[in-house]
Amino acid sequence: MTAISLRRLLPMLLPVTLGLVAIVLVVSETSRPAAVLNMLRPWGEIGALAAMMTAIILTGGIDLSVGSIIALASVTFGLAWQADWSPALASGAAMSVGLLAGAVNGTLVVAGIAPLVATLATMAFYAGLALAVSRATRVSGLPEAFTALGQQSWLGIPNQWALFLVVWLAALVVVHHTRFGRYLYAIGENPLAAEFAAVPVRWVQWWLYTASGGVVALVYTARGGAAVPDAGAGLELQAIACVVVGGTRVTGGLGGLGRTLLGVVVMALLDVGLQFATPNAYARLLLVGLLVIGVAVWNERWSSAPGEA
Amino acid sequence: MHDLPPPLVELVDVSRRFPGVVALDGVSLSLAAGEVHALVGENGAGKSTLINIISGLLAPDSGTIRLAGAEVAWSNPVEARRAGIVTVHQEAELFSTLSVAENMALEQGLPTAAGGWVRWPRVYQDARSAVDLLGEPLDVRQPAARLSVAERHMTQIAAALHQQARVLVLDEPTSALTAGETAWLFRQVRQFQRAGVGVLYISHRQEEIFELADRITVLRDGRRVWSGAAAEIDRAGLIRHMVGRTRAESVNLPEQRHAIAVQPIRLHVEKLSDQAGRFEDVSLSARAGEVVGIYGLVGSGRSEFAQAVFGLRSAIGQVHIDDRLTSITAPAQAVAAGLAYLPEDRLRQGIFRGLSLRANTVISALGSLTSGPLASARRELEATDRQITALGVKCRGPQQPIGELSGGNQQKVVLGRWLLTRPKVLMLDEPTRGVDVGAKAEIHRILRQRADDGAAVVMISSDLPEVLDNCDRVVVFRAGRIAGEFVPRDTSPETIAAAALPEGTAVETAARLKRTRRPPRRWGSELALSLAICLLVGVLAATRPAFLTADNLSGLLATTAVWTILSLGAAVVILAGAIDISLGSLLALSAGVGGLLLKLPYPPGLTIPAAIVAALAVGAVGGVTNATLALVGRVHPIVVTLGTMTIYRGLLIALTGGQTLTDLPSSYVGWSNARFAGVNGSMLLGAATAAVVYLWIGHFRSGRHLMAVGSSPTAARLVGISRARVWLAAFAAGGALAALAGMLELSQTGALQSGTGARYELQAIAAAVIGGVSITGGRGSVGGVCLGALLLSLIYNALVLWQISPHYYQLVTGGLLLVAVLVDLVWRRLER
Repeated sequence: MTAISLRRLLPMLLPVTLGLVAIVLVVSETSRPAAVLNMLRPWGEIGALAAMMTAIILTGGIDLSVGSIIALASVTFGLAWQADWSPALASGAAMSVGLLAGAVNGTLVVAGIAPLVATLATMAFYAGLALAVSRATRVSGLPEAFTALGQQSWLGIPNQWALFLVVWLAALVVVHHTRFGRYLYAIGENPLAAEFAAVPVRWVQWWLYTASGGVVALVYTARGGAAVPDAGAGLELQAIACVVVGGTRVTGGLGGLGRTLLGVVVMALLDVGLQFATPNAYARLLLVGLLVIGVAVWNERWSSAPGEA
Repeated sequence: MHDLPPPLVELVDVSRRFPGVVALDGVSLSLAAGEVHALVGENGAGKSTLINIISGLLAPDSGTIRLAGAEVAWSNPVEARRAGIVTVHQEAELFSTLSVAENMALEQGLPTAAGGWVRWPRVYQDARSAVDLLGEPLDVRQPAARLSVAERHMTQIAAALHQQARVLVLDEPTSALTAGETAWLFRQVRQFQRAGVGVLYISHRQEEIFELADRITVLRDGRRVWSGAAAEIDRAGLIRHMVGRTRAESVNLPEQRHAIAVQPIRLHVEKLSDQAGRFEDVSLSARAGEVVGIYGLVGSGRSEFAQAVFGLRSAIGQVHIDDRLTSITAPAQAVAAGLAYLPEDRLRQGIFRGLSLRANTVISALGSLTSGPLASARRELEATDRQITALGVKCRGPQQPIGELSGGNQQKVVLGRWLLTRPKVLMLDEPTRGVDVGAKAEIHRILRQRADDGAAVVMISSDLPEVLDNCDRVVVFRAGRIAGEFVPRDTSPETIAAAALPEGTAVETAARLKRTRRPPRRWGSELALSLAICLLVGVLAATRPAFLTADNLSGLLATTAVWTILSLGAAVVILAGAIDISLGSLLALSAGVGGLLLKLPYPPGLTIPAAIVAALAVGAVGGVTNATLALVGRVHPIVVTLGTMTIYRGLLIALTGGQTLTDLPSSYVGWSNARFAGVNGSMLLGAATAAVVYLWIGHFRSGRHLMAVGSSPTAARLVGISRARVWLAAFAAGGALAALAGMLELSQTGALQSGTGARYELQAIAAAVIGGVSITGGRGSVGGVCLGALLLSLIYNALVLWQISPHYYQLVTGGLLLVAVLVDLVWRRLER
């Protein structure tokens, strides 16, 4: 553990406070615990995406195409199903498409296009591809076993949260306990010095974005449900919000999975709490936007490198 | 009493420190009017710091600067320039996407008439008359990126001639010039002299110094060691002053040389030549137990050589490690082969400033510190502790952020990083630069130890005494080639120093640098776009008669107008070097505010102007908010606008209660389709907007400053352009344009939904990028953006007419954006 210093704690102060506020909000409505658990389901998915996004943001990059890749995976699954593939094979097809989409992102980034721009372009392209290929129709008649996945629980934990746990744990191990993870921080902190230090920067980046595509596709297949061409729209913002609110720095080099867990919990509880407090959709939108910016600014202010004015 | 006029420039007892090192220590210098004063010294002697202080880039910590007897203190280079001090730097920051003429003009401040209207004829005239002095035809309208290094220097010098300089500072001006061009330069310098200008001339070229200079000042280790008339000293004397100091007891004992001679050769480089031409035909060997020094001036190719061996640069030739031919194309391979390279620029290439000592130490040796498939914190900490102790790093512990350490200790950590990889060949680039005396000695001791343990050490250094005291052999680099190999014990320092200095007017260097290929001219993307549009129109007209009907065409123009205005908004922000993805939400919010005002029960003559003004204000405020958050919070605009995107959408829903806005007064709805003097209302607005933006960006100073900031934020800062002001204006304009587009669309459709405008910004950005706006900023044209918007609208019209299902629309947008981004990448690659 890093030595506790005021500078390191300050960035956490904001999300922790928010988390406490959220808990109070929710707890005051625990007359319906089952409802709360269900409302938290979508956040399990977002959490899984956020865990993967953390690794990318640590390198100073970003992946805006996450939502669109879900759409692609969704459409692929639907198509495979219509072609009489078994659910397992169809899931495999969806995963492959996700990995391929991620690999394209990785190739663009490695070729020298800023991750921001590259994934902005692929976000549009993949979404369009999903719409075009599926002709904007939902695929119906999916097997009960598959569609029920989204409603089931495993040992009492909703499936989505089990997924989140698995993905989060895997990300935790990779980011904090492997060479690959150490490289992420180096690349985010100083990409030039990373090159000079013999870090395989391009290799790391390519695998990072490819893996992101795969995790995204996994999230889709684990949710079950429909094969809908505009699935996943807007999820990237929420995933990024979780990462930023947790305290990971947007420019890279600082942060981690622990912080992202905090961010996911805060965002999820706040969202649920607000749904109880007010029925207004716009309040939630406002909150997400304000949080992302406010916390990002707060973090930048408090985590300027030592020796800087 | 006869009063002599005060010297033109006088520095009295000027000192300047940087963390860990004293760059200038009580240096005094005086420059008289009409005098050529040469400033001489080794690298690291303090010349650059002195020049930076005189030119206003740095402020001295103590001491005074006087200009014609009056004390001055500049806070930025622009003030120094206005005072008449013109500096021609060795490496200039350019606005690469702007024309040569504009580059020249921006340094002085663009010539403007009232209101900020740029006087372009003046700009080109000034540039041409400056360039005419060169005697060579040079197109001042071309982008500055297309200039070769020599041309860049020449135009800088020519521009300096053209300005009312009182003091001219020339930093290594002939390093890229041919003999002919150098002769021209000398003529100009003498002309300056006659005109009473004081010239400060920095050079390593002894012949030039003695030919040109009236007086010479020699700097060494930040102090002035000699100053006097050029006639009072000779070449040998100069070198002696530059180099000489009592040599420390030689660490290299004579008996060791025999032992070294029979050691195995660790590193053998055979005829290595740099792909980019920075060094050529270099062969070098180093044995186990040996410390080989590489001495030479900055720019002589030493660092590039070591980096090429290490795999950071491409080069042709052979590298043998321990007698085995090794192919190295990346640093990871080099490390695996047993090489290590300590970089020259500790701050930018060496340390990870925000990370801990531990992270900085183990990063290159992680493979050997794992336990199983996982990294082991325990082993990493142990390894870090070992290095900290062995190297004597003064710190609080392995978890301390490296940025808190002094320069010397940081250097030790980076050294420890490489020692941890147990290299067979250890290459170090300026290992003790910026390091205090105590740490210097320790580092030297450690290096000798490594050599004794069986490694070959290659030490690049500009510090001749360091090289002499610590190396068994010295290889001298000059202008990209090896100029000689010496044994310090048997050679005088002056011989070695002399070998590194360029001879006469180095035609070889100039020829080498001139070989850099001129990048290909970027195609007018406008040309390609116009062709594509004509083609599409032709095909559409031929296959679908419905295309040419008045109904379809007016609808097409109406949509184009909206897209043009919005795309211009996106383009303006991108040109300034930022990006705004909240434009779609801003469009909707502004239109929402406007729409609500329109529905108020007041006469339309009141509500319509009020609604439009309010909408524009909302858009501008939204944009300014985005810019402020990005600037003050130091957060990337994409993150800020990712957030404000939802905030503005949320505000819209709050305003409208989630309902669709309809029933707008008929006087408003439909004006966009009405005809004014025979021209469609939407088209009129679109054309007018395009014209206004065109005039702003192309002909007003604030617009040119916007392009400058997008082209090079660093260069902009150096000429005194404030990025904050530019971004505030750009984002405000972007928001206002989005609002305008929203109000136009409101008039066309008569309704506003909560989801209106979603994903619009993407299409706007696509249109801009397709229209030739570079995503990194600083390049693009209003005409191109209009064409891009037109093409996009045409494509959608075509999809409708060809009855291709709407599902393909987004694919087309996305595909076009992807293609545009890829094309931009290809052009950037070709220009490198």
